[in-house]
Amino acid sequence: MSTKLTRVDGLLLADHCYLDAEDECYFVGEYTARAGYAFSPTNDLIQNLKKPMDRLGLPEWKYKERAIAQAGDTLRGAIPQEWLESATVVPVPPSKAKNDPLYDDRLLRVLHRLGSNIAIDIRELVVQTKSTAAAHESSDRPTPTDLLDIYSIDTAKAKTEQKKLVVFDDLLTTGCHFRAIKQILRAEFPNKPVIGLFIARRVPDSAAI
Amino acid sequence: MATALATSLPSVSPLLELGAYEALWSEKTASFKAIADRFRAHPDALPSDFVMATIAEDFAKRAIALLNQAGVARFGVRINGAGEYPKKLRDAGHPVELLYYQGWWDLVESPCVAVVGTRTPSDDGIRRAAKLTECLVRDGFTVVSGLAKGIDSIAHQTALESGGRTIAVIGTPLSHAYPKENRDLQRRIADKFLLISQVPVYRYSTQDWRLNRLFFPERNITMSALTLGTVIVEAGETSGTLVQARAAVHQGRKLFILDSCFRNPKLTWPSRFEKLGAIRVRDYEDVRQQLVDQAHQG
Repeated sequence: MSTKLTRVDGLLLADHCYLDAEDECYFVGEYTARAGYAFSPTNDLIQNLKKPMDRLGLPEWKYKERAIAQAGDTLRGAIPQEWLESATVVPVPPSKAKNDPLYDDRLLRVLHRLGSNIAIDIRELVVQTKSTAAAHESSDRPTPTDLLDIYSIDTAKAKTEQKKLVVFDDLLTTGCHFRAIKQILRAEFPNKPVIGLFIARRVPDSAAI
Repeated sequence: MATALATSLPSVSPLLELGAYEALWSEKTASFKAIADRFRAHPDALPSDFVMATIAEDFAKRAIALLNQAGVARFGVRINGAGEYPKKLRDAGHPVELLYYQGWWDLVESPCVAVVGTRTPSDDGIRRAAKLTECLVRDGFTVVSGLAKGIDSIAHQTALESGGRTIAVIGTPLSHAYPKENRDLQRRIADKFLLISQVPVYRYSTQDWRLNRLFFPERNITMSALTLGTVIVEAGETSGTLVQARAAVHQGRKLFILDSCFRNPKLTWPSRFEKLGAIRVRDYEDVRQQLVDQAHQG
């Protein structure tokens, strides 16, 4: 039996400070690693997925490849085909621009795995205009307003007949990236619902609060 | 909580499931067995499939209010079918569909060993529980126990003092501590490690201790399912600890019994469980050999 998606509801909302009750966000697992420990399969998956691009070619790289396949398959098992086929799925842009050596297209690759053999509309509708530190590596986290300054719509791709827009990211933390992209997409497509889809959500460390 | 969904994506709402679980438990005939029987007949079901949404929402509010009143502001739930529910729990005779927790959930997937025993240990029992726990911590095991008086408390405290990891599986809701003198220990485990309870919050608040004490042995079954094995340090003929011994045998978990229990002429249970496959522990190496391999395989 495949794992069901969980919706971010009133019990979880407080863990994601930029989300509110109107946001429709789903995830499969929870990221709860502390101090480098990763006992659970989800913690392992997320750590491998986020392996930086400078590890390319090293023996550990195979774990990243495996994680990309596993993430795509897990999501595919949790989401009905017809739901996927009536969506335009928009990956959150990588923190590094395409010409940066650390540019990581893992989200796009997870989506291609998820969409293999089905008619899924994957579109890099939102682009980032300059490289930033990866959010999970940075202590100075941006706000949605900061992100609006560096995100823009790729107008060449801004046409979709699909009923809904799905913003895809690997890890839901504060909800900042989702909210910024939702705002941009709502401006462009005022009548389409914008939904968040994540492999996992990060549970804040209670001891750190 | 039930904002109109723009789409129909099948998913689990933790708040709704929490309320539905509490509502199922509000039925007079509810028990772990009765609830597990319902899910055996409908293996893909969620608690909310058996309860009207408005009723589930009402029970969720009641349970959360009780938890909040007791100072439990942050907690999580695990739901069978959704992410992070430990598959090993399905080995229990009447597996729980939902449980509450506070703390560092990842620990549940670490190599876990339960250390349990009587609430009134002898001086030797206390010494043995502490020594055993130190050895388990040294070998990288997470020490699991039930936060009761006696052996349980020694196991948790020694794990903390030795710089190890510990999980408490309690027989009260997260809102209560029993015995009361373990309140601080419970809070420390919830903050730094992992505290687990399968006890329905609302039902517990509506009945007295005579019925609520029945939740204690039930949590021993869950504790066994969560661990690679259980070590019994010291226990009398009618001890609740023996519930965990039976569960370990039934679930295919290792069961270890300290040699001192066999040498006590008043006890018949050690040899009874030995015949069922329990391992007689003369020194820690007897535990280690069995568990280290298993932990690496897992």
